[in-house]
Amino acid sequence: MKEIKRYSGIVRFEHWIIALSGIGLIFTGLGCLPLFKRYYLTEIPGLAWTADFYTVTKLHYLLAIFFTFAVFFHFFYHLVRKDFGLFPKRGDLIKAFKTILASFGLGKEPPADKWLPEQRYAYVGIAFITAIVAITGLLKVLKNLEWIVLSPKTESTLNLMHTLFGGAFILIFFIHVFFVLAVKSNWPLLKAMFTGKVSLEYVKERHPLWYERIMAKAKNLKEENIS
Amino acid sequence: MKLSRRGFFKVSAGLLGLLALPKGGEAKPGRYATLIDLTKCDGCQGEPIPLCIKACREENSSRYPKPQRPIPNYWPRPFYEDWEPKKDKIDTLTPYNWIFVQKVEVEGEKLFIPRRCMHCDNPPCVRGCPFGALSKQPEGNTIIDHSICFGGAKCRDVCPWHIPQRQAGVGIYLKLMPKLAGGGVMYKCDLCDSRIKEGKIPACVEACQKRLGEKAPLLFGEREKIFTLAHKLAQEQGLYIYGEKENGGTSTLYLSKIPFDKIDAQLKQMKARFQMPVKVVNRLEREVNPVGKVVLGGAGLGALAGLVLGLISTNKKEEEEV
Repeated sequence: MKEIKRYSGIVRFEHWIIALSGIGLIFTGLGCLPLFKRYYLTEIPGLAWTADFYTVTKLHYLLAIFFTFAVFFHFFYHLVRKDFGLFPKRGDLIKAFKTILASFGLGKEPPADKWLPEQRYAYVGIAFITAIVAITGLLKVLKNLEWIVLSPKTESTLNLMHTLFGGAFILIFFIHVFFVLAVKSNWPLLKAMFTGKVSLEYVKERHPLWYERIMAKAKNLKEENIS
Repeated sequence: MKLSRRGFFKVSAGLLGLLALPKGGEAKPGRYATLIDLTKCDGCQGEPIPLCIKACREENSSRYPKPQRPIPNYWPRPFYEDWEPKKDKIDTLTPYNWIFVQKVEVEGEKLFIPRRCMHCDNPPCVRGCPFGALSKQPEGNTIIDHSICFGGAKCRDVCPWHIPQRQAGVGIYLKLMPKLAGGGVMYKCDLCDSRIKEGKIPACVEACQKRLGEKAPLLFGEREKIFTLAHKLAQEQGLYIYGEKENGGTSTLYLSKIPFDKIDAQLKQMKARFQMPVKVVNRLEREVNPVGKVVLGGAGLGALAGLVLGLISTNKKEEEEV
């Protein structure tokens, strides 16, 4: 079966660094809230260390090294390359709804290009929340180092914003994972996030517009070779 | 733009170096400080209650918690923290008592130690509050905004002296998920924030000075002057200082004839709720902040690597696009 490259090695690297460090950051971030002790988590064998806020914060920071590296890499890498295919296009909103409904067997998915309209909206949401979490987190690091000194009100607002957007990050993380795992038509995309490739059959069926481009390009190449 | 591998490493190293330049962990001191001279404090002998406590209670009673009952347990834990039935208690810190006089006998000498928030230079309670309910003021004092405090008591856990005290059945958590998250509101000394912002001195210091005048053990003023005076007295009378180095520095200095490690040992032996750990380090500065520098370096390096690899791969983009 012929396979088409969907995610480059760099994209997969970005995705998995953000995903894995993000999971760790969710756990340690929740640990920075006074909840683990109350809910007996600290009493689970092997998790006693989570009772110490300083240790949990240190681990949160360690994971943030990878997370912020990947977030900033992602931003600049794709900005320079002008990879803007994941930004919503005109008419995406209705198509996105149709795609989501089709995920649950209601109606038919509108013909998609490389990215699904629903993916473009999801990307903007995830990117926005991730950017706010990362930036407020970095500002927290800076003010904890006292390299910047914020007014009392600003520091309070910053701390609260990081907590609230951290909560939003947890929410979108679960929505993202839910749609990948619960919707069967998304499974080839999950596989592609490991291998980088999807089958030509899948492209033909779900991304007809992308398929047409691939075919046109292949035809052009063939003609060029012949000539 | 072309960048060789060597060039890339040079730029990265330069960027990391730049980030490492400013000195971390140096707390910004506030404007004021308090001196507590234990050689002078007699616990207000002859008074029904020490005057610093009395003044504090009069000053702050309008801000004491008024819990709504019934108070839910901290589910799944079968309890909640309720000090209201003991609101007249003055021999310890509670949400209804923000200063107390600790009595301890060391080497045959009776000591009376006024205890309250030390008002740290780099307060972990402020840095760590997830709701931004605590803040450090330019005057050097740390205050709690009771209207947004959830009462998770993280501030008490990260404080080396475990100063903030919790009252359940009051605060914003009651409006959200009172059974599942939050535990009330935290209370502690705010160094009479509104008074010192008006140029007055804290109520406890004022009451102490009214009683003893120049011999008062409590003194409040410009930080530099207080610190200079503390060192002068320590040198002249062979006294020990507590609070200057502890937790990375605070704006409360104690003076004592007896070394503080002996006082703390005695407090530990008594299993006192509030002890005086000597040279306790600021773990945020010592353990967490160094990693913070690497986080900033990582973000910078990510940006740089993204730019460089982005520029290199732009030419190949067309081929990949299909």
